[in-house]
Amino acid sequence: MTAAAPTTQTPGPGVPDNGSPPGAARRALRAVLTRRELLLVILLALVLVWMTALSYGGYLTGPYDPDYLSAALVDAVPLAMLALAELLVIVSGRGGIDLSIGAIVSLTGMVFGFSYGSWGWPLPAAVLLAIVVGGLLGAVNGVLVAWLGFPALITTLATYYAYKSLAIVVNDQKPISTPGIQALYSLTGAVEIPVVGHDIPNVPLGVFTFLVPAVVLVWLLLARTTYGRRLFAIGTNDVAATWSGVHVARTRLVAYVLAGVLAGVVAVYVTGQFASARPDAGTSGNGLALPAITIAVLGGVAITGGIGRVSGVLLAAVLITWLDAGILLLFEGNNGSQFQLLALGAVLVFCALLNAYTIRRYGGTR
Amino acid sequence: MIAPLVSGQEVVLLAVIAVLWLVLGWATPAFLTADSLRPLLIEVAPIALIGVGMTLVIVAAGIDVSVGSQMMVCGVITARLLVEAHVSLVVALVAAVAVGALMGAVNGVLIAWGRVHAIIITFGTLNLFQFVGRQIFGSRTVNGIPATLDVFGRGAAGQTLGVPHSFLLTAVIAGAVWWYLRQTPGGRHFYAIGGDALAAELAGIRVRRRVLLTYVVTGALVGVAAIFTIAKGTTTLDQSIGAGEELAVIAAVIIGGTSIMGGRGSVLGTILGALLVQTVSSGVTQLGWPSNLSDLFVGIFVIVAVGTDLLRQRARRRSR
Repeated sequence: MTAAAPTTQTPGPGVPDNGSPPGAARRALRAVLTRRELLLVILLALVLVWMTALSYGGYLTGPYDPDYLSAALVDAVPLAMLALAELLVIVSGRGGIDLSIGAIVSLTGMVFGFSYGSWGWPLPAAVLLAIVVGGLLGAVNGVLVAWLGFPALITTLATYYAYKSLAIVVNDQKPISTPGIQALYSLTGAVEIPVVGHDIPNVPLGVFTFLVPAVVLVWLLLARTTYGRRLFAIGTNDVAATWSGVHVARTRLVAYVLAGVLAGVVAVYVTGQFASARPDAGTSGNGLALPAITIAVLGGVAITGGIGRVSGVLLAAVLITWLDAGILLLFEGNNGSQFQLLALGAVLVFCALLNAYTIRRYGGTR
Repeated sequence: MIAPLVSGQEVVLLAVIAVLWLVLGWATPAFLTADSLRPLLIEVAPIALIGVGMTLVIVAAGIDVSVGSQMMVCGVITARLLVEAHVSLVVALVAAVAVGALMGAVNGVLIAWGRVHAIIITFGTLNLFQFVGRQIFGSRTVNGIPATLDVFGRGAAGQTLGVPHSFLLTAVIAGAVWWYLRQTPGGRHFYAIGGDALAAELAGIRVRRRVLLTYVVTGALVGVAAIFTIAKGTTTLDQSIGAGEELAVIAAVIIGGTSIMGGRGSVLGTILGALLVQTVSSGVTQLGWPSNLSDLFVGIFVIVAVGTDLLRQRARRRSR
């Protein structure tokens, strides 16, 4: 995908690249590979230019314009938030991953549907309940993985099974869509941004009420608190972290709880987006966990832990969303969603290979 | 070091399955009859067969979550060959195995030579294979599948002395792999890789080729399992083939006592694990509970199995 790819072969394995002459091309390549944000911006520009060109050429079934891109951000909100959840969990290290995140969305969404839609709780209480339930479900993963030392992969696979099953059984496979729930659809409406709103398209409300607060909070947590430093410390080397006085199990547990909390908030958003609490909201098709993990990996999160940035994940979420939105216009009918699978899979494999190569050659992304 | 013929976990599993069967037989008297157990064995066969390959993969410290999508591709290609080219049983089998092995090779090459964790690669190829499968389906179902595969089907042609052929073939393949893993140096190599890939490399094992082999074998077995799945179904094949298969298979392998960290496990345990998973899901249906509830129990069984594996590891470390 990158134009610079063919030049990657230059130094043989084992040759220390620090001593080789720093040609401009090589420096550029190094920057693109180690600064994931740079690569993502380039890819994003490529996608936008390519799709817009196709749009002007009349190859698309609809216009690929700022209005369409802005409306597509509706789908970026849950994906980006779940990718942030995966960021926290994967950064915590020791094979950290949360496959159950989509099932947490389903189950929490049902709980939210019951409390707000059926029992008539006020909205703040119902949202709080969703957050608490999401956190508890995440805590089950966290206790098993962080305290008891279960491998995250198989543990969250098992809880995925369990949560998914509970979400489907709890209301006998039926969604909850009482009038109260349907009114939540306004969460996904578009709003005009004050001051500059006339010149740019309206942006979905969820971007401001859900995505921006989540991004800011996670960024503050990772970059500006001691917890963030501890999380990166245990992800990089948990033995060293233990010896420097970090409570590894507690720190890792909190990462899983926070992932669950984020999933709980996403459940509220997704319930609004569908105007109903669906028992398969986060698990239908390939579920939400897979794109979330893809976006995290694409955003430069190292699957081995200790490396990852909020900005990379956010850019990756936007890239995937706009790529998917373009693909949908590129094909007639059902075919578009199939090519989205192709794009998602190809991007994931490509990024994983790229990450592995970057780590071998430069010791990781920054 | 030669592993004992039957491990502790396998004895426990046998006991759990026996208890479940007795309880189910007591709760629904129709359960412990040949007419009820035969469909159970037919349902177990594809899970157990893929599980045999997955045991190899996991013993060598890998994982393959793309087997469900692989099954979709093998299934739709075979079904369309049967319908449109009227191929014979042997040709269908060869085609399914070849297609499966090819997809396994894609996984294996990317994992062994790309040096990326298996979960990420197979998550990616899960999507790619699903794309391929759906393209071949072309938004339709495959209708009018002929009776070529009846030798593995549910009817009288599909059984000998009351035992389904699909289960018999699975048992034969599992027996062969079990013997290979236990008794041959090549088989022990997989355990060595799972225990410590670097040490295995230094001991002269060609780690990459061995890892590639585990995925190719799994893919080939997925091909055979796809044949079983078409044979036990109706004359129509829809896009849901293989959906969720990877979860059932991985659950069976882990419940069977194979360590997710690699280096330990047996094919016999996997067969028992598959039997347990299928017993739970048929049991839930026969008790009249919501069928989706079986996933909850399977999840709990997996957690328990991983927990016992961890306890055993700690005990072993302490005894040293």
